[in-house]
Amino acid sequence: MRHRYLSFAAAVAALALTFSVSMKVLSAQNAPNTAPARIDGKPNFNGLWQALTGANWDIQDHSSEPGPYYQLGATFAIPAGQGIVEGNEIPYRPEALEQRKKNRLNRWTADPEIKCYMPGIPRANYMPFPFTIVQGTTTIAFAYEFATSNRVVRMTNHQKAPVPSWMGWSNGRWEGDTLVVEVTGNNDQTWFDRSGNFHSDAMKVTERFTLRNPDVIDYEATIEDPKTFTRPWKISFPLYRRLEKNASQLEFKCVEYTEELIYGHLRKPTN
Amino acid sequence: MKHRFLITAMALLIALAAGSLLVAVPIAAQATTQGAAAAWTPPKTPWGDPDLQGIYTSDDYIGLGMNRAAQYGNRLYFTEEEIAAREKTIATTAQRDAVEFATPGGNVGTGPPGHWGERARRSPRQTSLIVEPENGQTPALTEEGRQRQAMYTRQGAGTARPEDSWEGYTSYIRCITRGIAGSVIPVIYGNGTEIVQGPGYVAILQEMVHEARIVRLDKSPHVGSNIKTYMGDSRGYWDGNTLVIETKNILGNKTGIGGNGGGTPFSEDAKFTERLTRTDKDTIQYTMRVEDPRTYTAPFTFTFPIRREPGYQNFEYACHEGNHGMMNQLSGARADERAAAEAARQNR
Amino acid sequence: MRTRMLLAVIAVFLLVPVSLWAHHAFAAEFDANKPVKLRGTVTKMDWINPHAWIHIEVKGTDGKVTKWMIEAAAPNAMLRRGFNQDSLPIGTEILIEGYMAKDGANRANGSSITYPDGKKLFIGSQGTGAPVEQ
Repeated sequence: MRHRYLSFAAAVAALALTFSVSMKVLSAQNAPNTAPARIDGKPNFNGLWQALTGANWDIQDHSSEPGPYYQLGATFAIPAGQGIVEGNEIPYRPEALEQRKKNRLNRWTADPEIKCYMPGIPRANYMPFPFTIVQGTTTIAFAYEFATSNRVVRMTNHQKAPVPSWMGWSNGRWEGDTLVVEVTGNNDQTWFDRSGNFHSDAMKVTERFTLRNPDVIDYEATIEDPKTFTRPWKISFPLYRRLEKNASQLEFKCVEYTEELIYGHLRKPTN
Repeated sequence: MKHRFLITAMALLIALAAGSLLVAVPIAAQATTQGAAAAWTPPKTPWGDPDLQGIYTSDDYIGLGMNRAAQYGNRLYFTEEEIAAREKTIATTAQRDAVEFATPGGNVGTGPPGHWGERARRSPRQTSLIVEPENGQTPALTEEGRQRQAMYTRQGAGTARPEDSWEGYTSYIRCITRGIAGSVIPVIYGNGTEIVQGPGYVAILQEMVHEARIVRLDKSPHVGSNIKTYMGDSRGYWDGNTLVIETKNILGNKTGIGGNGGGTPFSEDAKFTERLTRTDKDTIQYTMRVEDPRTYTAPFTFTFPIRREPGYQNFEYACHEGNHGMMNQLSGARADERAAAEAARQNR
Repeated sequence: MRTRMLLAVIAVFLLVPVSLWAHHAFAAEFDANKPVKLRGTVTKMDWINPHAWIHIEVKGTDGKVTKWMIEAAAPNAMLRRGFNQDSLPIGTEILIEGYMAKDGANRANGSSITYPDGKKLFIGSQGTGAPVEQ
């Protein structure tokens, strides 16, 4: 009796071993470990992310407002939103505040997003489009869907920005499990939102990315720009992993949607 | 008795299932040797993939051309003498580019000086970029392909003719894109490709026009066929040390294999298979196979090495944000028409 | 010596066939019948593609100052040659030989852009060094 039990147990154990070994081989071959918890000792930020705030409309608290054309009614009106600015105050210098007011009045023509211009940092992180983070060890790439904007964060061999650019020059480092990115070399052409909040080419953005859990990043950014603001200020909001089945980065090359607006006056007259 | 038979039967079934899984492995292992045989083993990333990361350029293949000059026939590689002659030209060009002082009263035209372009650092080894078919020529176009080519030629790409509107220009001049093939084929400048890897992802960043292709390696399926984009949808896998990328779902009638994505545009059913193999510390052999039976009568393959060079890096290519050229060309064309109309009025 | 330099300059043009650049259609922007020579000081540089633009102020003999935009090289190729924003500081004087814009605006192509001592712009590192290897 005991003999039969022992041989049965042994058989099951042997089969379990065979099965687990073959499953490991199977998983190594068919389903590569594409989502390890850590990479080279650091948290894994790879994947498709998107912000859920209304900050692209206005990074401060705002009520709902009409859109640019009454013919589009509710579809393109502005929803109310809670801001992402800590303390809800943007410390503009007095003359800069006047410029911000002018920008806001001209938001339906002067916002660079309308012309499909690259949005710069930090705005690219909270536009209503997903983006992919590809995290290696020496370089981390951010591929934003809007206008195929992108940037690389250099984790080693930090250089100074050679010229100003739209997406800036990103140098990164780790502080424990937080990815810290300093973005300099920003030109003065981008806005923070569709409401005219702006900056100068002296702006430096210091971003901090911390994984709250595998599907949420706590993002914050400190803005320093003594030409525009009286002191540094901060924005913060979560970034959510896109979890739809086969959620994939698509493409929003929007230049074609802006050509009539930009060049229409130079079209050959038909008369 | 019945009990023991049941257990044995179950055990046998499980063993068979496990056994079949084990059998699957050696077949896959065989497939890896079919990739481009590289004697050099690349280092691996911390998560175990071959490491292709770096910034590479195809500058050495500037000016070589997709199609092979007829004199070479089926010969794919230059002779050592031919290479030596080309390297001499490269050296003389570099000398002339470095001439620091302008000649007083020298010739100045509307075109730019030569040193505004980027240059090969060494001679290419191949007589053409195309390696399949054997004669190094782009296969003949189908009837539909010829119609698409006629449409492209009408656009006037590469000529100085005034245009009625921005629609007459190529996607590159409009600062939209150079397409999947045009973004990688070497041209007179801007030939940088940066590869960044993460577990399950490869990002291919190309300088012109600030492209960032995301290749998923997690065996996920392509997006639905109703979602079409300029750069298509890319999914990849490792074949030994070779990264294989399969791309489809491109927007048809937009870009082709000509310079900067010009030439006969692909159809929306085109499929692209790329293979990237690191052959030494600084070199990746890049290959693309195009299958577009609606446009070309046969598939074709082109290949060239891309190299890391000291000091070479990509910079942001903000194009649409300052496309004065487009504005000025349209403005110039309208000015020409006004001048012609004014002259006609005066001659009446 | 001068003839050899001239031949060298012409040969450079031959090495890069004009057709390769034709897609930029300089001839569609600029008028080959309207040559221009300018001497001005740099007020701004637009580092954009496909061509950078240099903004200059030109002082006329009557003392009047006019603003011009000069079409220059592709910035990324220049950056790789070691030329960057520190190489052309605001206030630098430059000489331009080129052709005027077809639409009559104060724009010119900068086929020949030199410093007052005759040194060509964009030739290479202006003392700031090429980018660091990654």
